Amino acid sequence: MSSPRFPIPQGTLDMLILQILSLEPAHGYGIAQRLEQISKSVVQVNQGSLYPALHRLEQKGWLKAEWKQSETGREAKFYCLTLSGRKQLATEKRSWARLTGAVQLIFDEGN
Amino acid sequence: MKRLLNWFRLRNLESDLDRELKYHIERRVSDLILSGLPEPKARRQATLELGGVTQVQEEVRDIWLTRWLRDFAYDLRFSARSFLRSPSFTATAVLSLALGIGATTAIYSLLDQVVRRALPVHEPERLVLIDWKGDQATVNAFGSYNLMSYPICRDLQVQERFFEGVLCRAAMTISLSTGGEHRLAAAEIVSGTYFSVLGVNPALGRLLTVDDDQAPGASPVVVLSYDFWKTQIGSAPDVVGRKVLVNQHPMTVVGVAAPAFRGIDVGEVPALWIPAAMSAQAIPGFNGMLDRRTKWMQMLGRLRPDVTLAQAQAGLQPWFKAMLEEDTRRAGFPRITAERRQRFLASTLEFTPAPQGHSVLRRRLSQPLWVLFAATAVLLGLACLNVAGLFLARGSARDREISTRLALGASRGRIGRQLLADGLLLASAGGSLGVVLAPLTMQALIAFLPRDAAANALQSVIDTRLLLFAFLVSVAAGVLTGFAPAVQAGRGSLISSLRERGGTAFGGLRLRRIIVTAQIAFTLILVIGAALFVRTLAGLMAKGPGFDTSSLISFGIHPLRNGYSPSEATRLVRRIHDEIRASRSTQASAVARIQLLTGGSWNNLMTIQTSQRIITDREVHLNAISPGFFATLGTRIVAGRHFDERDSLPVSEGGQRVAIVNEAFVKRYFGGRNPLGARIDYGTGPDVRPDIEVIGVVANISYRGVREEREQAYFPIGRSEGFYEGANFYVRVHGTSEAGFQSIRTILRNADPALPINYLRTLDEQVSRSLNTERMLAALSGSFGTLALLLSLVGLYGVMSFVVTQRTREIGIRVALGATRFATVWLVLRDALVMIAAGIAIALPCVWALGRLIESQLYDVKSTDPATIAVAALILCTAALGAALIPAHRASAVNPTDALRFE
Repeated sequence: MSSPRFPIPQGTLDMLILQILSLEPAHGYGIAQRLEQISKSVVQVNQGSLYPALHRLEQKGWLKAEWKQSETGREAKFYCLTLSGRKQLATEKRSWARLTGAVQLIFDEGN
Repeated sequence: MKRLLNWFRLRNLESDLDRELKYHIERRVSDLILSGLPEPKARRQATLELGGVTQVQEEVRDIWLTRWLRDFAYDLRFSARSFLRSPSFTATAVLSLALGIGATTAIYSLLDQVVRRALPVHEPERLVLIDWKGDQATVNAFGSYNLMSYPICRDLQVQERFFEGVLCRAAMTISLSTGGEHRLAAAEIVSGTYFSVLGVNPALGRLLTVDDDQAPGASPVVVLSYDFWKTQIGSAPDVVGRKVLVNQHPMTVVGVAAPAFRGIDVGEVPALWIPAAMSAQAIPGFNGMLDRRTKWMQMLGRLRPDVTLAQAQAGLQPWFKAMLEEDTRRAGFPRITAERRQRFLASTLEFTPAPQGHSVLRRRLSQPLWVLFAATAVLLGLACLNVAGLFLARGSARDREISTRLALGASRGRIGRQLLADGLLLASAGGSLGVVLAPLTMQALIAFLPRDAAANALQSVIDTRLLLFAFLVSVAAGVLTGFAPAVQAGRGSLISSLRERGGTAFGGLRLRRIIVTAQIAFTLILVIGAALFVRTLAGLMAKGPGFDTSSLISFGIHPLRNGYSPSEATRLVRRIHDEIRASRSTQASAVARIQLLTGGSWNNLMTIQTSQRIITDREVHLNAISPGFFATLGTRIVAGRHFDERDSLPVSEGGQRVAIVNEAFVKRYFGGRNPLGARIDYGTGPDVRPDIEVIGVVANISYRGVREEREQAYFPIGRSEGFYEGANFYVRVHGTSEAGFQSIRTILRNADPALPINYLRTLDEQVSRSLNTERMLAALSGSFGTLALLLSLVGLYGVMSFVVTQRTREIGIRVALGATRFATVWLVLRDALVMIAAGIAIALPCVWALGRLIESQLYDVKSTDPATIAVAALILCTAALGAALIPAHRASAVNPTDALRFE
């Protein structure tokens, strides 16, 4: 296999999915491909955990799904962000920024 | 919540997920093929990347429902399927639960409405009923119970240390016209403080205030009830300011009360409220508002938040004592004996909590309703026992299944959950059916109550709290008994229970015997109760009112409420009576001051003067009647004579004061000696000079109700009667009562088309109305008893069948060794007899203990009446033995070769 990649931190997958869907609606495979691109370069995403995550986010009301024609002409289930999903993404981004900022601060102090 | 919703659309979700994953795999496979992989390899890699389709599906399902909930859903589905496979078991169990839950909830809902519900007013728990304990030195009284005079209410209103306010009220029927014809309406005559003390708000306009209740006759205003405004005035928004006629007196509507508020008596919902200051207009011929010796109103007080009932009661006594002293010195205080004066001065005020207000209906119905509620509770218990028995039976049949599952490694908890699902499913089915049954039962119940009281006052609204409670009880019963097989299953060794071939090794038989014994005990209690109430009703119906009711009609009018003066009223009654007598359909007719068989009476203590002076030790029931009254009713004059026209003349015109007493009166006060010529009079004081001569003795007839036989005295209705209480006609007709009604209606319409008829009905109906409560008790306890009997028979039959199946081998051996048919039947019946006998032995002490609670509802039969108990026990025994005989017969038909071939 290719060079070792570190596994995706717990809870980050949801945020990544929200981020991907904030750009445009996509179906599960599309999101998987996008994740694949990310994971090729940086982190390793287990595709098996994608669908449970999608359904969990839908259950929470952050995602909305509908069956639409995909680029291949077949029907696919497209997910898009709801308003509360958008808010959630913003919140997660903020807290992520604060977390990394805080970690950075600690590192800086050590220097 | 969303998860529960998911439950119901699982199938959709599943197919959706299926499509979604399929799409993913197809896309991945075609991409991989494009990158050069052969198809089978591509397909394997795509699945591998996903980590297995089934695993993903499982994980997603866990998100839809939590794990536990999901498995439970499967359990429920499994339970439902297995229930549908045994429809008779399911139907019996569901139906018993539905009946138990439905009946209990219906009775309790009625009980709650009539007896327990607090008034929809501000902080009802601070309301207390104020009652006078002792002698009020009353001269004049009318109304139901807990009566006091109006001035006392005003006195108490200023006792601000204990009360935030005090109100008084009297229920009254008035003649009301809102523009069209005159109709009778229920009214509450109230003090000006009424609404403010209760804390009721207006829906429209304003409510009565203290200013409306000052000088007598000065404030002709009324407040309408919301219901009356809605149904009779069509919710007219401009109703405030309109004039209505109350007994022909114009009064102005000033407002409409809040929708929820329906007066303080659940049995008598008023159409309007009239200030006490207008009582002379609202009650024809009444002018006792300011009289301290006229009691006619009930009084409620609102305690201050920081004052307890006991504090207020104790704190007011000094003031009350002083007031009593002052009262005796007041002008117009009646001359009374020293002894009675003592009793007057020793009076106290007594407070009782009155968050539910004051109600005559409650007083009459609360005990019967509690009795019925107890009966339904027993019935619910019985239903639960029945379900428990059925579950045990089913459990023992499933013993092998459960053992197998345990052997295959199922945990005890897993199997317990399956059984929980069983219980829950059954209870919900029974509960939902019960919810459907309860309102129907309640409507039937309300139909038993006196129509005028129940029609607008009570609703068939179900009490949800109790419904929930009954539901939970049945779930608990289902679950507990559902668990029993699980517990039992683990006890014996798995291997032995699996090795067992035809029968089962399940030892739940003892538990089932106990259940059936308890069922028989419960049933006997209900059957005895039913028998007692049926005997009571039958006894009262057989007794009747003491006169022939066939083709006897009665009706009442109240001319004074329609603007007649007393002398005009007398003339009108006379004219109507003449016309009725002249009518071809009339056999005989008479007029009485007080209506018979309504529960009410005119009564008074009497003084009797013969060679000595006696004062009656309890109230004598009185009535004033026209000559021919007893002839019309067909009552025998035992001695002396009936009244004639001369007796109605005033003394000044040559008449004399005469009376007729009944046999009960003679028996109690004359000890069988001849009463004719004795002198009597109302009242007991030293100033009473008996000068009314007893000229006749009449056979006993019912007055207040069929049940009672009290001392009665009758006086001739005077020529200047005035008919302050209205006039009640008794007419015996030729031909059908319908024709009689027609001719009476015509006569009344001709006399005065605007005069409302208070009532017009046959005496048969009047008698049956007066037996409403007894009929309700008999009918309901009878049906509960029958239901109980059915339930326990099913239980007994089930157990005995089970026993026979289990002992087939033993019976086969016995038969093979030469046991007779009779011996085999006896073998089984003996088993049943033990349970029946034990059940009866448990029930009898309970009957003895419970009997005292219903004693007051019975007539002519004791709650421990041996004959009734014996008959009930006999019925139960016969039915139970019958149920046991079927399996016993089956046992006797056992063919030894077949039975032993199992070996």
